[in-house]
Amino acid sequence: MTSLVFYIFATILIFAAIRVVTVKNPVHASLFLVLAFFTSAGIWLLLEAEFLAITLVLVYVGAVMVLFLFVIMMLDIDHKTLREGFGRYFAIGSFVAVVVLLELYMVFKAKGSDLATTTAKAMAEDVPNTVALGKVLYTDYLYPFELAAMLLLVAMVAAITLTMRPRRSNKYQEPSKQVEVKASDRLKVLKMPAEKAE
Amino acid sequence: MTAALNHLHLFVPEIFVASMICIILLVDAYVPKAINALTHQLSQATVIGAALLTLLNQPTETTLLLHNTFVSDSLSVTLKMAMYVLMFGVFVYSRSYLQQRGLLKGEYYVLALCALLGMMVLASAAHFLSLYMGLELMALSIYALVALNRDSAQSSEAAMKYFILGALASGLLLYGISMIYGATGTLELKAVSDVIAEGKAESKLLLLGITFIMVGLAFKLGVVPFHMWVPDIYQGSPTAITLLIASVPKIAGFAMLMRLLVDGMSGLHSTWGDMLIILAVLSMALGNIVAIAQTNIKRMLAYSTISHMGFLSLGMLVGTNEGYAAALFYTLVYALMSLGGFGMIILLSRSGFEAENIEDFKGLNKRSPWYAFMMLILMLSMAGVPPMLGFWAKLAVISQIVNAHMYVLAVMAVLFSVIGMYYYLRIIKYMYFDAPAENSPEIEANTDMRWTLSLNALAVLGLGLFPHTLLQLCQNSL
Amino acid sequence: MIALADFLILGAVLFCISVAGIFINRKNILILLMCIELMLLSVNINFIAFSHFLGDIGGQVFVFFILTVAAAEAAIGLAILVVLFRNKRSINVTDISSMKG
Repeated sequence: MTSLVFYIFATILIFAAIRVVTVKNPVHASLFLVLAFFTSAGIWLLLEAEFLAITLVLVYVGAVMVLFLFVIMMLDIDHKTLREGFGRYFAIGSFVAVVVLLELYMVFKAKGSDLATTTAKAMAEDVPNTVALGKVLYTDYLYPFELAAMLLLVAMVAAITLTMRPRRSNKYQEPSKQVEVKASDRLKVLKMPAEKAE
Repeated sequence: MTAALNHLHLFVPEIFVASMICIILLVDAYVPKAINALTHQLSQATVIGAALLTLLNQPTETTLLLHNTFVSDSLSVTLKMAMYVLMFGVFVYSRSYLQQRGLLKGEYYVLALCALLGMMVLASAAHFLSLYMGLELMALSIYALVALNRDSAQSSEAAMKYFILGALASGLLLYGISMIYGATGTLELKAVSDVIAEGKAESKLLLLGITFIMVGLAFKLGVVPFHMWVPDIYQGSPTAITLLIASVPKIAGFAMLMRLLVDGMSGLHSTWGDMLIILAVLSMALGNIVAIAQTNIKRMLAYSTISHMGFLSLGMLVGTNEGYAAALFYTLVYALMSLGGFGMIILLSRSGFEAENIEDFKGLNKRSPWYAFMMLILMLSMAGVPPMLGFWAKLAVISQIVNAHMYVLAVMAVLFSVIGMYYYLRIIKYMYFDAPAENSPEIEANTDMRWTLSLNALAVLGLGLFPHTLLQLCQNSL
Repeated sequence: MIALADFLILGAVLFCISVAGIFINRKNILILLMCIELMLLSVNINFIAFSHFLGDIGGQVFVFFILTVAAAEAAIGLAILVVLFRNKRSINVTDISSMKG
């Protein structure tokens, strides 16, 4: 039963991945990528990584792919020019991919390798997956966790620096400047000799 | 829990830099722009403060802390000190360049310091995860810095290329790491090394892993045949950012090689050593030969970087501590020369004019004999002419190759260095024997820039007269 | 029962598709970015499979961090893409020939 589920999911995943790299329209490509993420979340469930499976769906499908779609829709891209050279590179690309794949296949399916026979070992502690992750995340992996915080800060600073442009057409008030203003800046009292009527 | 907090003083420089990044971010946002120099001074203070903290908190022996994710040893101290010195120079050189082009924003300092933090993390990585996070922290900050001039099509295109190839390299590296993890069952570099030494790991997976890791590393270092991004990025970035890319990350690249290959996989030296031979020979050959044909000086120095990275790999592939010390020496020397070289390009540039072509150096001797002399020192050093520091660096690496009885490699290294001399000497010829272009204006620079640049070039000469101090330092670090 | 090798081969297939995709779509940056996401997905499958068969949580933690980094990376990559598009009104990298040689 598990084997059947695995093979169904694997087939869908590979189909979706191939479509991502071959479709014409980037919107379709990103939707196929969403499908790929969903099916791999299913495969991760088979591997008892429940927390990560949910995270994959939440983070990728929920945030990253939406970001992708958002950018695709925001930019007015001419899809036709992007397809230039597609046929030319298709042959070489698929050739390289097949060669690499065959090499990897030979390694993983090599005779005498225990990759085909090894069975899953139980985790050290018999606790739910999320609990197990939570226990190590803030202890053993505290340092990478803090670094991840810095990394997200970098992403935020970088994205804002690169893309934010204050709109010049916006008219808004700056309260601090309004408060700071002094009477002498606005009103100048000039002393002039009074003119006498003649 | 208390065991984890022992030796935490060794971790203080990282904490300090991270806190200062947050402070600078806030200061830049809330302090009026009139006091713009404040951000600059705070950033310099961060670098100096981190240097002091690193010096004060030196480890007595190799110490692992934070659950074996962080290592503090004499190598990490040396690497970090080199990073601080270079970063200080980068900030001094870049300031007026960025100011003239309206790029001197607080974000520049924040991103540059984040890159510095990432490199510090790399320098003391003891775990695949901390290595990866450090690498990405550095790389993501630098991608954004390359695109900092957001009105320039050339810069944004360079940033895009750098991003795609950098992300691809990270992907390959990660694929390799996953294989090593599968073969050894651990992510701690020291434990990986132990498992490999015991011979318990699945050898085919290991081999696969090391191959992918080497490809990823080659991409990141920019050695042939994974070098194609280097010239485009060097040329396309604003010169101040090229200066940053060409100096400090080289130290981080060396740190990555040491941590991954030596700390983690010294048991596989025969495999990665052979791969490095190919990468080194190709890089020295292509880098030196293609550089001759360049007319753009940033592009020329980019190819020169490729050849120098090849030379650096020569030191690594010997596989002895003396070899690593020679490679470290070479890296430090190269980074210092590269800083000076790009500093000179910035010096010749002014608002509305980029000194990008080699021709811009024509007749520099008539315009400013002092800076022509500084450039002379730097170029002679890069070419490897005695008594400059660059010569001793090349000598240190080649003598290690000879000690390892790799005579063919040593001959090739000498041969390609001689070919490489041509394009460095061409700049010297332009400076001293050609007339300056008409209406070339006076060279103007801040006092701190003049002093630092002179000091930088004179250090290359001065340390070259007493090369053993630096070499000794490198040997003691390993 | 499904063997570790099967999961690794699934990862390898995805990896190769993403490499082929990078070759094929070298002009379309949006698809290139998606290929990189696919590559990271293949790495993640490897890590989780190894983690499951080794009985070690470390691999899963690594995946957790790869997901974090990939999200940050996507944000920066798309930001650079937007900047590029604003400058050139296209996202075709090979348009410019000033950086050849």
